[in-house]
Amino acid sequence: MGGQTGFGPIAADDDGQFFHADWEARVYAVVRTLQRRGVINKEFDNLRDAIERIPPAEYLSLSYYERWLRATEMLLAEKGLLADD
Amino acid sequence: MSGGHGELPVAARVRRLEERLIAAGLVTDDELDEVLAQVFASAAPANGARMVARAWTDPAYRDRLLADGNAAAAELGFGAGSHGYLLKVVENTASVHNMIVCTLCSCYPTALLGPSPSWYKSFAYRSRAVREPRGVLAEFGLELPDDTEIRVWDANSETRYLVLPQRPEAADGMDENALASLVTSNGLIGTAVR
Amino acid sequence: MTRFAAGARVRARCADPEGHTRLPRYARGHVGEVLEIRGTWQLPDQAVRGVSQREPVYAVRFPAAELWGSGSHSVILDMWESYLEEAP
Repeated sequence: MGGQTGFGPIAADDDGQFFHADWEARVYAVVRTLQRRGVINKEFDNLRDAIERIPPAEYLSLSYYERWLRATEMLLAEKGLLADD
Repeated sequence: MSGGHGELPVAARVRRLEERLIAAGLVTDDELDEVLAQVFASAAPANGARMVARAWTDPAYRDRLLADGNAAAAELGFGAGSHGYLLKVVENTASVHNMIVCTLCSCYPTALLGPSPSWYKSFAYRSRAVREPRGVLAEFGLELPDDTEIRVWDANSETRYLVLPQRPEAADGMDENALASLVTSNGLIGTAVR
Repeated sequence: MTRFAAGARVRARCADPEGHTRLPRYARGHVGEVLEIRGTWQLPDQAVRGVSQREPVYAVRFPAAELWGSGSHSVILDMWESYLEEAP
């Protein structure tokens, strides 16, 4: 997204917190744990690849940890690692 | 916070994912809690600030920090995260100002800089920092002289950066703790003077 | 053995690969200068396919005027060797 225009001004304030909802922390923990297990690789490339494969309109509508969640779900489905509901 | 994919609200969707991962034997509750405890316990901007303050008071440490960021972090007991990236420290001078972005995602040395600010992960910062850094810095209230050279470092998973800000002129006689307290996480990213 | 030395002028390839790459669109086709050699690392483009291909990686500095047509700053990016070609 480097160099794209039209995203407007930067909201420069920040509260210094890691997470802004409990579910964000849980998504982070899930991703790091899957990384330890090798499901997500050490360098994070396969999760990053999945994040980039989120359809663009949806990508832009999701928050940072929503993108992590969506990509993790995609990756797990592609690897067939979870039993069907 | 809500919205996104599927019909469940996001918090319920995350719970459902956790349950399925636990059922599949891929994670345990304890492991998830441990990962979070670890990040809260170890990652703080105070770590990066400590390295900066040491570099301001000890020229030999400054040289080591610029030559090998990972080793210099380890000297003070800080690790560079679980995935072993290369830590590059870039030094601001009277004529050069450095700033960090990750245009691709939001790579960031969390262990040393603490939680990455929300704006660092925003589309606005990721898209604009490489194109018009002066405009971006102005939105942070940082106006640099026209002849200051700006270097924008686009980080990635393998290489992450920390800015070594200029030592304040009024810092003579201050000890390392006092100096460290002057350093902010924005200073370590390059969106503040220090 | 590395193909480029510090100070070499290099051009980022114009390739538009399928899938993940660390070669951002904004650098493609543009000329920069090698600042230093970072090391020899796995190419992420292949790693996502489960293939380990190791290559030298260079920190390359691009002037803003080259990337955007104006501006006095510079942008420094890590470039895997296969992203680069010699520039005149």
